[in-house]
Amino acid sequence: MSEAILRKSAVLASARGGKKLRPDGDRSALARAVIACLGVVLIATIIFSLAFGASDASVIAVVKSLISGAEGTESALSVRDRIIIYDIRLPRIILGALIGASLAVSGAVMQGLFRNPLADPGIVGVSAGAGLGAVSVIVLGGTIFAPVVALFGLYALPLAAFFGALAFTLILYRVATRRGQTSIATMLLAGIALGAMAAAYIGVLVYVADDKQLRDLTFWSLGSLAGASWIKILASGPLIAFALVISPFLARGLNGLALGEASASHLGIPVQRFKRIAIVTVAAATGASVAVSGGIGFVGVVVPHLLRLVIGPDHRYLLPAAALLGASLLLIADAVSRTIVAPSELPIGIVTAAVGAPFFLWILLRRRGILDL
Amino acid sequence: MIRVSNVSVSLGRSKIVEDVSFDAGAGEFTVIVGPNGSGKTTLMRALSGDLPYEGTISINGTLISQLKLWQMAAMRAILPQSTSLSFPFTVREIVKLGMTSGRSGAARHAVDTLPDEALVRVDLAGFGGRFYQELSGGEQQRVQLARVLCQVWQPVLDGQPRFLFLDEPVSSLDIKHQLIIMQIARDFADRGGGVIAILHDLNLTSMFADRIVVMHEGRADCVGTPTQVLTDDRILRVYECALKVGGLPGKSVPFVLPQSAIL
Repeated sequence: MSEAILRKSAVLASARGGKKLRPDGDRSALARAVIACLGVVLIATIIFSLAFGASDASVIAVVKSLISGAEGTESALSVRDRIIIYDIRLPRIILGALIGASLAVSGAVMQGLFRNPLADPGIVGVSAGAGLGAVSVIVLGGTIFAPVVALFGLYALPLAAFFGALAFTLILYRVATRRGQTSIATMLLAGIALGAMAAAYIGVLVYVADDKQLRDLTFWSLGSLAGASWIKILASGPLIAFALVISPFLARGLNGLALGEASASHLGIPVQRFKRIAIVTVAAATGASVAVSGGIGFVGVVVPHLLRLVIGPDHRYLLPAAALLGASLLLIADAVSRTIVAPSELPIGIVTAAVGAPFFLWILLRRRGILDL
Repeated sequence: MIRVSNVSVSLGRSKIVEDVSFDAGAGEFTVIVGPNGSGKTTLMRALSGDLPYEGTISINGTLISQLKLWQMAAMRAILPQSTSLSFPFTVREIVKLGMTSGRSGAARHAVDTLPDEALVRVDLAGFGGRFYQELSGGEQQRVQLARVLCQVWQPVLDGQPRFLFLDEPVSSLDIKHQLIIMQIARDFADRGGGVIAILHDLNLTSMFADRIVVMHEGRADCVGTPTQVLTDDRILRVYECALKVGGLPGKSVPFVLPQSAIL
């Protein structure tokens, strides 16, 4: 009898075709191998990004210089190249990697929390909330929010974005989730409303902004890593680091939550406390990255989705893999944005949206039934 | 032992379960039956710790209100009526989630193969690599049972009996798998654990249960053995359906056939 079942399942599996899955369905070895590969890819991407651009320092010279240290006496780099690499490219690359990782991780955590592969901070209005917080500080930083800016200094912008993101995530969760079940249609509609609301308030703020603030806002809103500096890393790094360090501890809870809230708590997971931590994590990662780089869309939905196709949805592997792939992809997108219209540069948000939005439509096309869940 | 004393559950303003008391012992298979809307699932949710209730519920002598979630997860596992997933987990990955609490009780060397063993038990050998979302409703239900079995693989751990709560475990199954699943529950009880199940099928209930709790309009109408509980009167009163309870010659297992209905 069991032979018949085995045969049947083998036939069905081959009929489905394409997907090579170990017959026992254990993808953990594959997932570990993919994570190792992504680690290597990220290191390679970082090194090539360092050597890539208007200056002509060779990859080998850059690596040598990295090994011997910035102040190495026998540096293989000229003084000019050293300044370009350590003061301009390195902070930009570190920031890009941190932001790519946090965008991808916040997307993955949010999707797990809402039990929904379409939940992405950019799509459901959380980034807009972060944007509202950031714009408020940029425009009102000299007036109403002057005490806040004075108190928190360079942390005011990321913190404001964090609280904006947190408020919007809480509203979204409150509206879209009833007794632990998230209605996908309600979530997306609530996201549209929240996005419109944030856009309206941002519009008001833009209206009252002066010329210098307007220039800041325009740069910021297009999404760009230009102007990355060690200061910016210092400002948003802690929030991003917090989110990236917390996220592995969310994996077990997110896996349990995939079964539904009740079943997760029956497995011994403290669901309510867990959800609060997950929401704060999403808000921290989204807020910090929006504060620095404006709206860089679709990384949070594309990266986890691609990874789920390959290594499956187990968050113990999905979250680290998303961080690594998100970082690499954003660095590649940044390299494209720096060179495609050289010597000028395209805001990176345009690059990610140009690639990510069609990809998102493709997901919808393949899984049109997704709203019926 | 699970001891339910004077438990009432309210949802909003309406009292769904009122003053229910019964014991579900270790080594026993207790079945809750009753018409739709009689409060069976609500009672089960209170037992599971999902709903606030009045009265007391204890498991092995400890009030469940004093237990942490992870402590309860080591004492009982719960099979929901149905589970839909939004991510493409394989069957094996789902079954493995049952081991989240880390107290399956399986021997250390057998932990890695436990999901496969559980799948064999629910007659899904070789299904580990299939995607959960591609399975039929009945197959999904059995995958969930395999997951739940992994959580309390040993019916007795550290000298304490453990419990299975099954909410309509056979409702979407064919007759062969209904019997297989009932046998799994029976076997769990025979090896020292306790089982509480909600069932609609009075014949399966009568065949496998040690004790039946009949729910009617939120109250426990009767608690007892199949022969005590299944009577013409009670079925007429509780189900509002005039059926004749039959008995197999030489056996103490009553049966109820819909053909006997006096319409």
